[in-house]
Amino acid sequence: MARTILTVEGLTKRFGGLTAVDAAHLTVPEGQITGVIGPNGAGKSTLFDCITGITAPDAGSVRLGETELVGRAPHAIAHAGVGRTFQTPRIFEGMTVRENMAFAAVAQTGESVVGALARPGAVAAEEAETDARVDELLAFLTLDPLATAYAGELSGGQRKLLELGRVLMLDPTVLLLDEPLAGVNPTLGATIVDRLEALRTDGRTIVLIEHDLELVMRLCDTVVVLHHGATLAAGPPSVIRADPQVIDAYLGRMET
Amino acid sequence: MVDLSGLAQALTFGLIEASVIALGAVGLTLSYGVTRFINFAYGEFLAWGAFTVVFLVAIAPALPLPLAVAVAVVAVGFMGVAVSGAFFEPIADRGGLPLLITSIGVAFVLRYLLVAIASTDARSLPVPLQRPVEWMGVGLTPVQAVVIGVAALAMLAIHGVLQYTTLGTVMRATSGNRELATVAGIDTEAVVRRTWVISAGAAALAGVLYTVLYAPVRPTFGFGYLIIIFAATLLGGIGRPYGAMLGAVLIGVTISVGSAYLSPAYDQAYAFIVLVVVLLVRPEGIRRGTF
Amino acid sequence: MAIVTGWVAFVVTVATIACIYGLLTIGLNLQFGFTGLLNFGHVAFFAAGAYTAAIVSMPPPGTVPGARYMIGLAVPMPAGLLLTLAAATLMGGVLAALIGVSAIRLESHYLAIATFALAGIFYDVLVNERWLTNGTFGMTQVPKPLRATLGADAWALAYLLFAAATLAVVYLLVGRLLEAPFGRVLRGVRESTAAAEMLGKDTDRIKLVAFSLGGAIAGLAGGVYAHYIGSVVTGQFVAGVTFTVWAALLLGGVASHRGAVVGAFILVAFQQSTRFITTAYDAAVAAFPDTLGVVLTALAAPLPGHPAFLPSVRFMIIGLLFILVIRFRPAGVLGDPQEVTVMGSEE
Repeated sequence: MARTILTVEGLTKRFGGLTAVDAAHLTVPEGQITGVIGPNGAGKSTLFDCITGITAPDAGSVRLGETELVGRAPHAIAHAGVGRTFQTPRIFEGMTVRENMAFAAVAQTGESVVGALARPGAVAAEEAETDARVDELLAFLTLDPLATAYAGELSGGQRKLLELGRVLMLDPTVLLLDEPLAGVNPTLGATIVDRLEALRTDGRTIVLIEHDLELVMRLCDTVVVLHHGATLAAGPPSVIRADPQVIDAYLGRMET
Repeated sequence: MVDLSGLAQALTFGLIEASVIALGAVGLTLSYGVTRFINFAYGEFLAWGAFTVVFLVAIAPALPLPLAVAVAVVAVGFMGVAVSGAFFEPIADRGGLPLLITSIGVAFVLRYLLVAIASTDARSLPVPLQRPVEWMGVGLTPVQAVVIGVAALAMLAIHGVLQYTTLGTVMRATSGNRELATVAGIDTEAVVRRTWVISAGAAALAGVLYTVLYAPVRPTFGFGYLIIIFAATLLGGIGRPYGAMLGAVLIGVTISVGSAYLSPAYDQAYAFIVLVVVLLVRPEGIRRGTF
Repeated sequence: MAIVTGWVAFVVTVATIACIYGLLTIGLNLQFGFTGLLNFGHVAFFAAGAYTAAIVSMPPPGTVPGARYMIGLAVPMPAGLLLTLAAATLMGGVLAALIGVSAIRLESHYLAIATFALAGIFYDVLVNERWLTNGTFGMTQVPKPLRATLGADAWALAYLLFAAATLAVVYLLVGRLLEAPFGRVLRGVRESTAAAEMLGKDTDRIKLVAFSLGGAIAGLAGGVYAHYIGSVVTGQFVAGVTFTVWAALLLGGVASHRGAVVGAFILVAFQQSTRFITTAYDAAVAAFPDTLGVVLTALAAPLPGHPAFLPSVRFMIIGLLFILVIRFRPAGVLGDPQEVTVMGSEE
């Protein structure tokens, strides 16, 4: 039984009259890929928003290990170990791929005024370290040929990989990926899946939202089904596939 | 014990000032509704309105003042369309920030064109100097009453246009969502032009009323007054004309009461403070986008 | 010969003012160009610095006739110059931090209005709090360090060198900051606050630091200005200064560190040149009354003769600058179009 890295309990979020997330719960086991599925409007992205602090939930708790995340600022949550990518990648188009990656480097001396001005040696050393790490990750993501290209020039799939790389720079405890394959051509899609599996082999914990059910069933160790903002079912793919409630609400209607 | 008649007098002055501010705020908010950027050049339409009347009166002294005002309002209204067509519409697709910065440039061009023509001398309009008429402990001159009346009528007219005419309907539609309105077949460019006529015309009238009340005025008064108009507009909710009217009343009263009971040296600063507080306290729509 | 000396003095004056505006523009560039903070109240930080330098160095009120101010610390020159400038820089930074603490999270249009309004309030305070600022009469006895020792001409040259050196030092320091991870973080925050937050950056704090630093540099500019002009009067700190700096930034190239200084120099030269136009006109008409003089006078005849005419035309041209740069060359003279397009992309 794997250790639980992230626990979401009774999470509720209302927007005016609409309840986007309805007392949802979620247990994320360490070192596995957990898929979150559900029809459009099921509250999946909002769930991620609540976990990462973009939106403040109306009720419920999110615990990373022993630490309660609800109520903390997004940057603090990222710092605590939660990395998140977006459906539409929010990369810095005006910077090169390398700069995008280097941006994410944590706790750099050179990021403060005093550090940047008074400690050039430390800054240079850290930059070298960052560069090495960036090279490593870019190679891992097969983006190394594009290191000096402007991020704005990348294709959709390349942007997804870059966003993933940036988040990996944080060395996060858990990765929340919002539709990592949406709008990506099949070749790059296969690369992304391959890299996700490699990350799992490395011991990373991943939670992903996806619409491609076949992929989710193939790739994920655990699947959580959201429906109208509430958790309908959770368990291994084989169980979820066969769950009559899930079929009724979701699988029966979905063709793709 | 609060001096009631003093308070009533301050409130009255506040209401008088609010008439001017309301016209300005409504005009600004209407044009924001369709153009979606903060127009820093708006204040210049007030100055142009005032000085067009000054100019007309100077070259044709026999012209009745109300007629001169009407001419000025229409002229500045069309000037607004010309300005929009020349400077704002060509870059309308670039987003609010370039438009805002451009509007600073337009403000400078309009203001200093007026100064180049009229010099920096302060001018007034031929308005008779009157004694206030006492009414229930409050003093009000006939001219001041006329100002309130004119402003009220103008706003009633705008209300009429918004609620009961086709133009009003398409203005409200375009103001909600310009792209959607275009897709729905509305000639949004015509709507924008017509909105500018009303917006700049309202500003011109506000400028004239301002001059009537606070003469003499310099051609540069528009930019400074902009902050007060912004205050009223934002207080009422940007893009909401009826909110702007209410905001104007609140701002006018704040300035008047503040000057009367706190320090008279600061008058406009009270509006500034309200503006800053509104910006900081008002939730969603003002806080940075995504969160 | 008088014309030559006049020319040199003119160039020295223009260059000194240009150095001061260069500092102002670097400060604004840090706030807007690199961090995306729309600051329409820059003159307030300039004024804060200038008045601080004045208050710290002016003679005590008792010794100045007609003085309404109450604080003059009379720090001795030239040694005290370092102190007055440090105080000026600090004040600019503190004012910016105070404004920034609340305003920094506002969306850019509202930040523009808020900073504009706050600068307006600050101006009213300068005018009304006579015990501090001597009101509209101004603090007119700000010492010019070493003026008596050097004499007018030599001092002008020496002060130019001092102003240029200050500009150079600030330019280099800020340049270093921008090359460091600090600069990278600013640019990311500028493009997408949301993404930066998601990557663990405390964007509120980062914006506050950039804003305060820009204000501090503007404060330093104010201090250098105060000791140059020798008097600090409210009329010198009107909104026009803010927008002149903006014009310099837009022209030179937003987010271009070199561009900021280049833009400042071009704009100050342009501004000061209108003085030259009147002098040149008068000299030409006087020197060639029957030929060139007649032509020039005829050309000038239909133009309004009031003294505000030339300055108005100057300001109109500055306004046109805003309009034309934004429309046709948003990156200005030295800016990078790639960087400029992403600005405001979070609208």
